[in-house]
Formats: sequence, structure tokens, C-alpha cells
Amino acid sequence: MTLSAERPNEVEVYSHVPPASTGATRKKGRGWLSQHVGTAIVAGFLGYIFGHWLGNMISSGYTVEVNTGQNSIADLLALVFMVLGWLIGIGALNYPLAKLVGREPSSSTSSSAPTLEDDVGGEAKVDGELEGWSRYFRYNLDHKVVGLQYVVAVLMFLFTGGLLAMAIRTELLNPTTHVFSADTYIKIVSEHGTIMMMMASSVVVGPLGNYFVPLMIGARRMAFPRIEAFSLWVFVAGYMVIFSALPFGGFPTGWTGYAPLQTQAGPGMVSYLFGFFVIGLGMMAAGFNLLVTIINYRAPGMTWSRVPVFVWSILATAALLTLATPVLAAGGLFGLLDKTVQTAFYVTEHGGSSFLWQNLFWFFGHPEVYIMALPGFGIVGEIIPVFCRKPLFAYRIAAAGMIGVALLSFFVWQHHLFQSGIDPDMRPLFMLTTELISIPTGFIFLVGMGTLYRAKIRFEVPMLFCMAVYFNFLIGGVSGVFLSDVPVNVTVHGGFFVLSHFHYTIMGGLIFAFMAGLYFWLPKMTGREMNKKLGLWHFWTMFVFFNLTFFPMFFIGLLGQPRRVFTYAKNLQALNDFSSVSAFLLGLSFVIFVVNLMWSQFIKPKKAAANPWDSLGLEWQTATPIPPHNFDRIPVIMTDPYHYSEEGAPALAYFGEDDHVPVRSGSSTSGDGPA
Amino acid sequence: MSDTIRNSKGMSDTPEEREFELRAHIGSIWSGGRLFIGMYTFLIASLAFSYFYLRSSNNGLLWRPNHVTAPTAFGWSIYSLMLLTAFLAIFGQRRLRKGAVADFQLAAWIGVFTGLGALFMQSWEYAAVPFYPGSSGYASTFIGFTVINIATIIAGTYWLETTLARSLRLRKELGGVSPQLSMHPSAQSFRANVASMAYFWGYLALVSTLLFAMFYLL
Repeated sequence: MTLSAERPNEVEVYSHVPPASTGATRKKGRGWLSQHVGTAIVAGFLGYIFGHWLGNMISSGYTVEVNTGQNSIADLLALVFMVLGWLIGIGALNYPLAKLVGREPSSSTSSSAPTLEDDVGGEAKVDGELEGWSRYFRYNLDHKVVGLQYVVAVLMFLFTGGLLAMAIRTELLNPTTHVFSADTYIKIVSEHGTIMMMMASSVVVGPLGNYFVPLMIGARRMAFPRIEAFSLWVFVAGYMVIFSALPFGGFPTGWTGYAPLQTQAGPGMVSYLFGFFVIGLGMMAAGFNLLVTIINYRAPGMTWSRVPVFVWSILATAALLTLATPVLAAGGLFGLLDKTVQTAFYVTEHGGSSFLWQNLFWFFGHPEVYIMALPGFGIVGEIIPVFCRKPLFAYRIAAAGMIGVALLSFFVWQHHLFQSGIDPDMRPLFMLTTELISIPTGFIFLVGMGTLYRAKIRFEVPMLFCMAVYFNFLIGGVSGVFLSDVPVNVTVHGGFFVLSHFHYTIMGGLIFAFMAGLYFWLPKMTGREMNKKLGLWHFWTMFVFFNLTFFPMFFIGLLGQPRRVFTYAKNLQALNDFSSVSAFLLGLSFVIFVVNLMWSQFIKPKKAAANPWDSLGLEWQTATPIPPHNFDRIPVIMTDPYHYSEEGAPALAYFGEDDHVPVRSGSSTSGDGPA
Repeated sequence: MSDTIRNSKGMSDTPEEREFELRAHIGSIWSGGRLFIGMYTFLIASLAFSYFYLRSSNNGLLWRPNHVTAPTAFGWSIYSLMLLTAFLAIFGQRRLRKGAVADFQLAAWIGVFTGLGALFMQSWEYAAVPFYPGSSGYASTFIGFTVINIATIIAGTYWLETTLARSLRLRKELGGVSPQLSMHPSAQSFRANVASMAYFWGYLALVSTLLFAMFYLL
């Protein structure tokens, strides 16, 4: 029995309120005195002061941090209340508090009966209809606004971490003449690593996942738009918390935060642990929402065999985010308890174990590697068929490979402990599981190669970045297979070889893929195209100088230079200088990107074609600019979106309109009519 | 270019689309509830791993010197209150399914108070523990457990309270029709939420049993 058959009169009640009639809703409470990022900053600041005062009051004279005179309870409570104030200030807690008295905010603003829109997220749509810049500074429930907010947030992370990387390479220009002290250097390295890893965990899922997953599955909305918005604003709060470590004196542990150094470190360590905890909350929230959305909101006809490969990658990543991150949160919580109430989880002398942290951290930390890698594969898998004009080769194997990688990633964490808290007899088992994971990863790689094989490739900027991903990831992946073997691992552990390996996989894989995604999808996101010439300059400088920066580090590592140490053997200076100069030029490539972004999007914007790459993806088939509700009608999906150049291929989707031309997969690159 | 829609003509839902969205929404509550349980499982697994890791390591013979245990009277009372809350949540949901909204509301009212009672007892227990937090591996994991338990009780009781508050308000919004009997989307959404909440509390009862045995009996 359908709703319409049962209660035909209610059709009127549930009908969507047209934008023109929502003026009253739009105006209400939307001035600059209402909640926005400014009020969040003020509330966060007040929260910080209150928390610090409270901590000092309840534990006065309780100096915890060794040799600092600091009270770590006050430090922690200051950060806790800062985050709480931030969330109150932005409006994230309005809805949870209203629920305590049974209110659903959107229905409470209306005198009429609650509508379906109210219950299933009509507020998201109404908010989405707000126009102008102010919506980007508020707790907005439209996934497209959240996606763009995420773009800014991750770029903020990326550039902060990048500046710290420049500082590292400056220090390494000379082994004896120092810019920073040894202590300052390790703190810069630690902050760089932590910021970059946290950025990388959300760099695709946040901006592109949130923006495009609903569009790609034919959904009008996210399953839980408030949780999605929460994930963004708590992610930004996490950035502030982690960055606060620097003014607190930093932390000396590197991004891995190993005990017992963790236990001995000063107040900056509290920022590290709590920052991880807070960002972990954001990661869990983002993964949870995306996973539920993909499972439940796929349009009719969008069977699992028709789901775009990017969505598969986000599905696998979201599962990892949702299930692995609680372990990090628990590890962080235990560390905070050690720092504040003096438990001894990681203090061996008191019945704890420093290896416990390593286990908890890496049980999250290795899936984290695939949290970073899988979305990159998804982007590349989505883009290359467009520029090859060929179907994605072995689509099902790509999807299976992603799920296989996600599953296996839970069984490899002990290879990070080959040199420390592991029974030597257990090493072969984890060597085997680590090598096993290269099989599904190889499948994904071969899917790309199969698609490229005998293709007439259009070398547009996004495609160039995709090609670079394959080049870089091949080096990163093969060196990873080396590292999974115990003898090699034991030999090069803790050196620049490992450093180079993971930069090749994360930056060479993920960040290049993120750039491919940005160049590919920004015309749809903003309606403005990126400048191609500047894009080419950006690509070539980034690709060349990335390789010139990191490839020598394999040799630097093999010659024995350890990570996180500010001096090194004199005979390695030439290689280090070469790497440093390349790194500065790599930094310059990001300046070109920023110039391109500013020029193309703000200074001299040029309207993009509605489907500039002639993609068959569902996200390109909706109106431009994308309406708040994404699709005027929920599309009925008829096939997968990869039937490029196939004569007689079925239409991708039916959009329920007589005057609407269904996209055919064999469509040509010109003309507006059906192919 | 092969784009098919240049400009939006505005959304106008068909009944089928509304039904599709409603089904997706109800499915989201169902799968979201189960996924939340999955996340919680990994959190608790981390605690259990820490417990058994430190127990088997027994560094410096400091896992549990003199077999000191957290106050079992507190343990029993907190455990009992959590079991009672879980029972009330499940009972209330079953009564709601049979149309007895008042029974659900009564069970939820009592459940909120037993949940708050468990929270109070768990907080009070800090004043009664006979060990310093860092005195042993057991003491450390116990403190970690209590912090997670407090967060769990707050989350579970909040969920229970919000369904209770919603049921009270929903009747008014539905014009006096019972939320159990109405086919209104709000009512369907409410029922799915109550079912997920009860399922979560049932799971909490199982986890509480495990944790109670670990920290008070073993």
C-alpha cells in the first residue's frame, strides 16, 4: 500500500514548499547576530577561558606536567570547553538540545502539521536555498555547501602542514648550521606529520565525498545532514586543537605519539591527544553518514553493480572510518587519562605498557593508510574512463579490490611493531597479511592499466594528475612491498626510506588524486572553470618537483639518515640540498594552484560548460547550477555510467520528464541532442 | 555536450518519490542504529583489548597487586540499573508496537530515571574506589572503563529521553492520533527510532554483563 493510495489528501500537506514562499523562513534568525563562524570563535574563546579557570579551580596546585608548572587538567578542560563553545557558537547543539523537549526545529517554526520534509530533512533543503556567501560561514545542512566548506578546511590544513614542511627542509639544508634547535625541529616535524595525516584522512571524503556521493547515487540529500555538518565543524575545531600544540610548546613524539615519550611530554601532548580525539569524532561522523546514505539513498535502479567506482571507494573508506576510528578515540582517551588523572595505561613501571599505545594506535593507523588511499583510487577510477572514452575495465574487480583492501587492512597493523613489541615468531604472519594486501591493491591498479590500454587519451589537466597518481603510486606501492618484508623493514626502519615510501603513497597517490578531482569537478561545484594554462603549470611543477623531492630520499634513507633528527652525515648534504630545493619548488607549485584558484574562481571567473568533460556520470546530468534538491525528479538508473563509445548502449537514467533527454552512453562530445 | 538539464524547474514530489524518501529515511534509522552498535563495539573492544593486554603482560607484577577490586556493591547497583533500563526500553518498545503508547511512556519515564540513577552511581563510585588511578594496570583500565561507561549511559539515556519527549509532543502534532496508529511519516520515523533505541539498549545490556564480569568478578 502506498502513501498516495492510502491518504491521497496528504499529498497536499507534504508538497514541497517552493523557494519563493520560504522567504519568512529564510529571514528568520539569519542576521549577523545569529549563529555563524564569528559567534563560534567568540564562544570558543570564552569556553577556553572558562575551562582553564575551571581546571585550575578543581585541581588547584596540582601541577602535573613535569618541568612546566602547567596543570594538565586545566589544559585539557580549556580545550574541551573551547570545542564545546565552538560547537554551541556555530549552532551544532541547537538540534540535540531541542530534541530533549521533543522538538524537531523545522516543524516548530511552522503552525501546520509536520511534513515529510521536516522529518526527513526538509530543513536541509530550505537551508540550501539560502543564497549568498553567508551560508558558507554557518552550520549549513546542504551537502553541497558542506562539501565546499570542507574544501576550504582541508586546504587550510594542507597549507599549514606545507609551510611546516618548508621549515623542515630549510633546517635540513645544512647538517651543522642550524636554523632551529633540535627540540624545536622535532616539534615542527611532529606538528607537520599530525596536521598532514589528519588532513589526508578527510581530504577526499570531506569535500568530494560529501559533495558528490548523493549526486552520484541519485539522492536528493544525505541521510543525516546534521551529522554531516557536525563532522565538518568538529574537524575544524580539531585543527585548532592540534595547532594549539605549538603555542603550548609542541610535542616531541612525531605524529605517532609513542609512549613513554608521550607520557613525559609537556602540555602540547594534551593538544595532540585531544586533537586526535576530536578529529576522530569528525571522521566517525562523516563515515557514518556517508555509509548510511550510500546504503539507503541509492536511486531506484542504482543496484550495487551500477554504483560508480568513486562511491565504492567512499563506501569502503567510510566503513574503515566508522569502525577503525573508535580505536583511536579510545587510545587517545587513555593517553589523556594518563596525562590528567594519572592513570598508567602506557606507563610500564606502574603496570601499564607503552606497547599498548602502539597496538591501539596502529590498529587504527594502518586502516588509516587505506582511508587515505582508497578515495584516491576512486577518483582516478571515475575520471580515467571519461578521458579515455572507454568503459572502466573490470569494474567489478575494482569494487571487489576496494572491499578486499578495506577488510585486509584490519589484519596488518602489527607490521608497524616488527621492531618493538611483537613476538618475533609472529612476524612472518603479519608479513604475509601485509603482502596479501598488495593483491587487491594490485587489482585496482590493473583496472586502471586495463582502461588505459589502447585508449585515445585526452590529456586534460585532471587526466594528467590521474596519470601521475599511477606513476607515483607504483613507486610507493613497490617500495611498500619491500617494507612489508621483515629483513628490509628491520634494516630501513625509522629512516628516510620509509619517509619517502609513505610520501609517495599519500602525497603521490592521494593528494595528486585530490587535485585531479578538484580540477575535474570544480566546474560543476562552482560553475566556473579553472584556467587550463595555469593548471598545466601547476601539474608539471608539482609532478616534477614532487619526484625530485622525494625520490632522492630513498637513497638518503638507504645511506642511513634517520627520520626526525635535525642533523646528518656530511656526505649526505648534496642529496639533502637537492631534495630541499626541489621541495621549495614543490611548494611553489601550490602557489600556482592557489593563484589559479583565485584567478579562475574569483578574479576573472569564466563560466564553465555544463558538462565540460562530456562525462556520463550522473552528477553531471543534473541542472547547472545544482538545485538545492539535486534532482527535480529522483532519477531511475538504467545502467552503470561507464559505457563510453559503446554503440547502442542503454540510456544512463530516466529523469521522469518528457522533455528531458536521457543521456546515452555513446554520446558524442558535441551537440546538445541525444546521441 | 551531453548534459541533459540546463536549469532546474523546481522540485515537485510525486507520491512515489515521497514514499521512496520515507523508506530511505526509515532504512537510515535502522542501519544507522546498527552501525552505531558496530562503532560502539570497536570502542569497547579497545577497552577489552587493553584490559587483557595489560593483564597478560602483568608488567612489574602490577596488573592487580593484592587482588584489589573496585567496590562490588557499586558494580552490582550500576549493572542492575543498566539492565533495568534496557529491560524498560525493550518492554516499552514492545508495548508501543502493540499500540499501548501510555505503557511505552511510563516505561520510558522510569527508564530515564534508572539511567540517571546508573549515571549517579557510576559518578559516586569514584569517591569509593580503594586505589589510586595509576596504582596498577587494573586500576587504570577500570578508570578508563568508568569514563566510557559514563559516556555510554549519557548517550543511551539521552536517546531514551528524546524518544519519550518526541512521543509526548507527537501526539499533539498529530492532532491527538496515537503515534503508534498513525501512518504519518513523523509517526513512522518515530517508531523506527524507538526500535533502534531499544535495540541499542539491548546490546548495552549484553556489553554491561561482559564488562561487569571483567571488572568486578574476574
